[in-house]
Amino acid sequence: MQAGFAKYFPDHNAILINSDGGSTDGTLEIVEKTAIDDFQPLLIDQRQNLLSKIVTPYHGIPGKGSAFRTIFQVAKELKVKACAVVDSDLRSITPEWIDLLIRPVLNRGFDFVNPYYLRHKYDGTITNSIVYPVTRALYGKHIRQPIGGDFGFSGKLAEFYLTKDVWGSDVARFGIDIWMTTTAVANDFKVCQSFLGAKIHAAKDPSADLSAMLTQVVSSLFMLMEEYHHIWKEVKTTTPVPLFGFEFSVGLEPILVNVERMTNMFSLGISELSDLLSDILSTECMRQLVEAGLSDPFVFGDELWAHVIYDYALACHRKVMSVDHILKTLTPLYLGKVASLVQDMAESNAHEVEERLEALCLAFEKTKPYLIKGWD
Amino acid sequence: MDNVFLGPLKKFVTKIAGFLPNLFIGAILILIGLLIATLLRKMICRLSRLLNMDRISEKVGLTQILQKSGIREPVSWLVGNAVYWIVLISFVIMGLDALKIPAVENLLQEFWFYVPNVIAAAIILGAGYLLGNFLGRAALIAAVNAGIAISGLIGKFVKFTVFIMATTMALELLGIGEDTVLIAFAVVFGGVVLALAIAFGLGGRDAAKGYIDKMLLEKKEEDDDITHI
Repeated sequence: MQAGFAKYFPDHNAILINSDGGSTDGTLEIVEKTAIDDFQPLLIDQRQNLLSKIVTPYHGIPGKGSAFRTIFQVAKELKVKACAVVDSDLRSITPEWIDLLIRPVLNRGFDFVNPYYLRHKYDGTITNSIVYPVTRALYGKHIRQPIGGDFGFSGKLAEFYLTKDVWGSDVARFGIDIWMTTTAVANDFKVCQSFLGAKIHAAKDPSADLSAMLTQVVSSLFMLMEEYHHIWKEVKTTTPVPLFGFEFSVGLEPILVNVERMTNMFSLGISELSDLLSDILSTECMRQLVEAGLSDPFVFGDELWAHVIYDYALACHRKVMSVDHILKTLTPLYLGKVASLVQDMAESNAHEVEERLEALCLAFEKTKPYLIKGWD
Repeated sequence: MDNVFLGPLKKFVTKIAGFLPNLFIGAILILIGLLIATLLRKMICRLSRLLNMDRISEKVGLTQILQKSGIREPVSWLVGNAVYWIVLISFVIMGLDALKIPAVENLLQEFWFYVPNVIAAAIILGAGYLLGNFLGRAALIAAVNAGIAISGLIGKFVKFTVFIMATTMALELLGIGEDTVLIAFAVVFGGVVLALAIAFGLGGRDAAKGYIDKMLLEKKEEDDDITHI
């Protein structure tokens, strides 16, 4: 990051913040002490004006959202022009990321820069199967990685984020990414994307619970639907957003997937949760899900999936039961859809995968009137 | 003869004759109560529909609270039936009181002392029912998400355990059985757990071994590298 500031913004004052959640692995010391002494190998002749560091613990609910809140607060106090936030477990970050996340704000007047990564076709499945299609259908912007985690934003937008009282909700945890993107889009801030290349992060935390993660992201998505229903109901078409950076391809490490386990989980969910699912889903949707469970080879259609997600949004809107219970019943259905997508894309290259996801997005856009009708 | 047969018979007839009006009044009171309760239930259900009570309760979140705990009947139906039973029970008590039988009167007097306990027991039962449904559902969903094949059984076990505990507490409050109920519950509960342990440990030793082996193997096989976020 220091190299990024030195190389691309030598005339600007910069500050590096480590918003820490109580690390015990020496992160604080590493951030405090790490510095580049010799800029020559990086072909950087002009040294940056000043790079200050703030290493601070954040307060509130443990989670990324609470950490970001501290950063927004610092940005507001210092009246910064532009900010970039990056995940702490990244292995593929380069100095160029700083340029790509900040320059659109500084030089082009954008308020929010979304990341655009190269990811393995089986990576980011919540993004691909739920968040991207729903955000695109609802708010009309083709933002490919709405929960990418690495963003650039203006000081004005940071200040706007602080005006929202969401810090006791799931936004303070995994929900922060979708909240930042949706808040920017729904409030007409200028949004763009920057191509950052591959996203490689540390090996996943084996204790991370998929169900909790899915619940937090989807509950934030649905909570935002409540807040911005007057906006998304009026959106009839979708448009691409500007993309900066030079697109290139890289080799990605293969990902192991156990499709059989996913389809088994789907079947178990359909059989054991049928009473609860009948309260959440429409009769037709439920019938088609049972049929999908019996299909061989296993197929979970795009329109059916769109209906499922919209039925879940409606069930949360009407609070047919505890929202936490509603969303936790989504896990087996989500695994079913992931299994179906994995099977569809088994032989696909990156371009074909995007085409496949485009078809999924179109299914969500086509089915949107069903959501609007049910919402009222 | 008069003293041996007719005397007691006359006394019995006189007593019956004195009791019959009371019985008649009691029966009439119960019948009136039944009539009023039925009419009130109908009126309340109709009035609730006219006043959109179900919609209002949905808006204020009452319907959702009830649905969350597994009660699917509309609020208007619940209110109508609650009124029906309160009116009917009141008239039944009045009817019994009208019989003027000392034993029944004593019982009724005891009943009035008993009412607070009955109400408290009803509240415990209600709360137990709501909590049992909620926790049972949470356990069911968690078990499904953990991929446990007997999720339905786990959900029901949690639900009924909570409900049985609430029933035990309610019965203890009513003074029924007291220690007997508690001991019976402990014996049954302990027995079930022990039976399961023995069945799993001895009866199904091979099956258990196979199941555990399969689980461990699956655990190794099922690990995938997908990053969902």
